[in-house]
Amino acid sequence: MINNSKPKLVIETKDLVKMYGPHLALQGLNLSLEPGAIGILGPNGAGKSTFFKCILGLITTTSGQGKVLGYDIRTQGDLIRSKIGYMPEYDSLDPELCAIDQVRYSGELIGMNPAQATQRAHEVLEYVGLKEQRYRKIGTFSTGMKQATKLACALIHDPEILICDEPTNGLDQRSRDFMLQTLRNTVREGGRTVLMSGHVMDDIQEVCDSIVMIHKGKIVVHSRIDELARQVDKEIEISVWGGSSKMQVALESRGLSVRRLGRVMRIKVESDDTISVILECAVESNVQVRKMGEYEPDLEDIFLLIMDKLGAEVKKTSDLMTSEHTGGQVYE
Amino acid sequence: MSKDLVDLDGGQTRMDAAYGSDDGDADSLAIVAKEEASLGAIFEQNYRSWDGNLGPRWVRNYAIFRHHVFGLFTSKGHRSYNPFVRLTILVIFIGAVSPIAMLFFASLFGAGPDGFVDKMWGVNRSNLWGQVLGYFPRNLCYWPLLTALVVGGMISDDRRNGTSAIYFSRPVTRVDYTMMKYLSVAVVLGFVIIFSYMAYYTLAIVFKGEGWAFLIDTLPMFLSGLLCSLLLVITYTSIGLALSSISQSRFFAAIAFLSIIYGTKLVALLVDLQFETSILYILSPYDCLAHLGQWLLGLESNYSHSLSLSVVSLILMNAISIIVLVSRVSTLEVTRE
Repeated sequence: MINNSKPKLVIETKDLVKMYGPHLALQGLNLSLEPGAIGILGPNGAGKSTFFKCILGLITTTSGQGKVLGYDIRTQGDLIRSKIGYMPEYDSLDPELCAIDQVRYSGELIGMNPAQATQRAHEVLEYVGLKEQRYRKIGTFSTGMKQATKLACALIHDPEILICDEPTNGLDQRSRDFMLQTLRNTVREGGRTVLMSGHVMDDIQEVCDSIVMIHKGKIVVHSRIDELARQVDKEIEISVWGGSSKMQVALESRGLSVRRLGRVMRIKVESDDTISVILECAVESNVQVRKMGEYEPDLEDIFLLIMDKLGAEVKKTSDLMTSEHTGGQVYE
Repeated sequence: MSKDLVDLDGGQTRMDAAYGSDDGDADSLAIVAKEEASLGAIFEQNYRSWDGNLGPRWVRNYAIFRHHVFGLFTSKGHRSYNPFVRLTILVIFIGAVSPIAMLFFASLFGAGPDGFVDKMWGVNRSNLWGQVLGYFPRNLCYWPLLTALVVGGMISDDRRNGTSAIYFSRPVTRVDYTMMKYLSVAVVLGFVIIFSYMAYYTLAIVFKGEGWAFLIDTLPMFLSGLLCSLLLVITYTSIGLALSSISQSRFFAAIAFLSIIYGTKLVALLVDLQFETSILYILSPYDCLAHLGQWLLGLESNYSHSLSLSVVSLILMNAISIIVLVSRVSTLEVTRE
């Protein structure tokens, strides 16, 4: 588990700005990340890749400060990269190499000697479930096996922070479950910090305790997932049969907010008698309510709600978010 | 099944026959497991930490160098070269050292210093120049093909496979990456071109039993030839790697290199034959090197244009190639854009 000698904050940025010519990619990022599993969310072009490049010390920041594990991102990029494992989203493996050779080589590129790298490559390939396939050429691997090999490459030097860029991309259900379990183990058993980006919210929710949401180069949310979920409006989900449209009209005429997906409707809980109102509407509309239950919002809902809010015309970040969505933390 | 898992007399494991009568069926027993058999653990995922020390910059750089160079000699664990490529390089190497065999036979047969064998393969200005810069077969068949095969996928493979992320997400800088790739190609070319040249000169002395006087006479020529071979390795490496860095295909890089070497030579030759001017040879990397080599070794020049034009052209070729190489390596990405 996390050892006390480690810094309290693994990543810390203050007013971090990155411009590509006139384009502002990161707009004054203020972020303090503690050890654990953190999901990095945001639509395409939000600035996630630029953020990763900054914390890897790969690009020069325009202004502001940043520290990763206590090292300055502007001057100590080499040291930072020797403590971080990065698992890229896209293919980054030589198809003509065996898995063991690819992982060993990635260890040697960190500075491990060949004997150490070979021994460690065997260990991490076993950890990611490729023990039996380690002498096979990567070109013959399935997508899941390639993803696992990339994870092994990132883990070979036992990094303190593991950055995974969409680690479940293209995986079938079984491989996805195993990948997520491996990431969870890395956090819980290994005591490592995992930064995971992705668009599949279920995956993020399964591994991460908290999220950082980036939009147009700004951090719009940084909170624990459970806290966010608590602050989203409660809804009742019903499944109706024989007149969904009529039912929707009836509910809306009673002043209820309805989200409808075919025969499934989610109705915002306005008061204690919302359930009674729903049933009355069902009787009036002459429809059958076949299923009714409290709907628990997941990260997908939270993400969509926040993105919906962000789509509005606003002048500053605090206008974009309510305290319900940011978990009490609003970032400028 | 082990006995402790089975309870023959216990109530739970005893099962009367469902449709028994009194003709003995009542005594029927079915033996079932008392508890679930253990399935065992096929795979147990345990995170193992590692607390070794990481080596300094040269360890990382040497790993890049070793990965690319050792792959030519062993297919296991290093960059994979096609067996055909390795075989071709071996054939080129044997071809490059073939004059040594002739010198050896000449020493066995006792051919004199003015004999045919000595004139053809012995150490003299023309042969030292020819060992590196002779057009046929070395600069027509050997060196361009060798370079094309070695540089083909050197950087283009990283771009195509995305393996640049493996380098740059680690403490490997772009300068280190470029230098180690450059050094790897130069060492492979050097091993064939420079090593064969040095072996030729050294073994010529050994086989013929030459003394200090011969050494003093020929050493300046040898060193001039050595400089020529170094320039050839540098120029071909620069052009080849620049071409490899601008594409995702090893085939493109190889073909483009051969096209530049042969194409410029052919165009210059046609213009020379038609208009009796050698000026276009400044576009041909080989001819610029050959022109400079002739001057360094004190041979009569085949070119009518000024040597300085060839030298300037050579410098420009290398400079442009390195600028292209550096700018293209700087665009190799770690994260998806």
